[in-house]
Amino acid sequence: MFEYLIFFTFAAIAVIFSAIVVIHRNPVVSALALVVSFFSLAVMYVLLDAPFMAALQVIVYAGAIMVLFLFVIMLLNLAHTEEPITRPIQQFLGITAAASFAITIIYYLCKAAVLHTGGPAEFVSDARAIGVSMFEAYIFPFEAVSILLLAAIVGALILSQRTSAITEAKDGGAR
Amino acid sequence: MSFDTPDILLNLIKIGIVLGLILNVTPIMVWVERRGSALIQDRPGPNRIGPLGLIQAMADAAKFILKEDLVPAQAHKVLYNLAPMFGLIPAVTTCAAIPFARGFTIPDAFTYNGVIGALLVAGAVANFLFGVIALRVTAHFGAKPGATRFNQWIGKIVGVALIATAPVLFGLFAWFRSVGSVAMPLGLGGRYFEPIIADVSIGILLIFALSSLGVYGLATAGWASANKFSMIGAVRASAQMISYELALTLSAVGVLMSAGTLQLTEVVYRQSGTFVLFDMIPLPAWNVFPMFVGFIVFWVASFAETNRLPFDFAEAEAEIVAGYHTEYSSMKFALFFMAEYMAMGTISALMATLFLGGWDVPYWNEPATFVGFLASFGAFLAKTTFFLMVFVWVRWTVPRLKYDLLMKLGWKVFLPLALLNMVIVAILIPLGWI
Repeated sequence: MFEYLIFFTFAAIAVIFSAIVVIHRNPVVSALALVVSFFSLAVMYVLLDAPFMAALQVIVYAGAIMVLFLFVIMLLNLAHTEEPITRPIQQFLGITAAASFAITIIYYLCKAAVLHTGGPAEFVSDARAIGVSMFEAYIFPFEAVSILLLAAIVGALILSQRTSAITEAKDGGAR
Repeated sequence: MSFDTPDILLNLIKIGIVLGLILNVTPIMVWVERRGSALIQDRPGPNRIGPLGLIQAMADAAKFILKEDLVPAQAHKVLYNLAPMFGLIPAVTTCAAIPFARGFTIPDAFTYNGVIGALLVAGAVANFLFGVIALRVTAHFGAKPGATRFNQWIGKIVGVALIATAPVLFGLFAWFRSVGSVAMPLGLGGRYFEPIIADVSIGILLIFALSSLGVYGLATAGWASANKFSMIGAVRASAQMISYELALTLSAVGVLMSAGTLQLTEVVYRQSGTFVLFDMIPLPAWNVFPMFVGFIVFWVASFAETNRLPFDFAEAEAEIVAGYHTEYSSMKFALFFMAEYMAMGTISALMATLFLGGWDVPYWNEPATFVGFLASFGAFLAKTTFFLMVFVWVRWTVPRLKYDLLMKLGWKVFLPLALLNMVIVAILIPLGWI
């Protein structure tokens, strides 16, 4: 009973705020709405008996990534302006993509509901189980992702070094 | 999930205790902060409202409520109004996952014994005496010049209330003695009382997750105010909190490695008992001894995390007026104020839990009874209060850093130190030291 109450409340919140993310013309409001949507997704994870995933969802997406997004959007939008309406072709493509994605999800959900394929699998979601599977079964993808992230860090470092070298050269020239 | 009445009642009691504590942190700490700063700067501080200025916080609250609530014309109205709530909610909710005392089994019945009787009688006598003293002191100071009528009234009310409780306590004593034993009402007898609201398996992650949302209050406030100073404050706050959250989290990893779980009740149980250093010196088995580096990093990072001096760049009144809450007035400003102090209270409690053994009373094995509960609750409060006092002490002693220095310190000093702490713990665990 409680579960249903919580599920439908947060499902409604997730849907409404996801809609706001897309529809609202102010990018800062959109970003904040996305945070709320992420948070209600975390509640879904808790209801699915995966509290560890819920905490990671909030820490990583709502707490870290969206802060950076919000940061950039705020700095680019200091005058509180609203985005202009996008061009019709963009609207058409966006709506088509979203609709086809929705139809696919609904199709597979209905299929699972009717055929009862892929019932609730046995799964453990505590920190230990995730750590063990990450460092044993999935060690290669894990390391590959680490290298990818390292490449991004090195790239950022080189770019920032280059720009500071340029500004230094400019400053030197000015003096 | 199924609840029965005693369960709901116990949960309500826990929520009442924790909410009472966390909501009272603000007025008490404001008083401590103002009197403490006055003490450090050798001046009297607020001493007009109530004895020793103790009711100053109530006067402040009344003032906040009565002030005009201004909204800048250029502000984004909705976000401007929501921002203080974004800041307050994480601050209030995080304390739900912190265990605040030793759990105990609620006895089936209260039985009268000499100790309880003596305590009740002594309480009655003491209250009567204190009441008389309060009235005499009020009368004495009332005759002096400079006495305010407000303080007179407070003195009279306190005195009469104290005297009035004396016969009540004595009556309770007489009734209890005649009855002998009272059954625990509402089916609470025999239940185990675990003094934590949400004893979840992801305890510490829950706290970090919720406190990482606190930055939205600051960022939104700064942006929605449409003010340059607010915006600078918000940007500083976000950058600072993201950088220091990393050091904070990493320095807590050592604790989790030694406990082997994220559950905070378990973390505290692991720290009770003693640890014999070099087979000679018995020390409490607190995490602060093996993880001293991590403790220091966590402590310093907590100042940045709660935006307190020497790291209060988000408001830095000498540089950017009042930072992210420059445009806020009346109760909305007070909400930011409350959020700051509540975050301080929560992080102090968390520090006590992670590193100082939480509710563990050193060199004493707390029994799972009401006495053990009270003693461990007292120990928890004492440790938390210690950290809160240091927050105040540091604020009025250490000057504000330069902003670039703060970032450098976070990324180049505290992050490597937190990693070093992890390495030390990883070496100490197989050696059997933890």
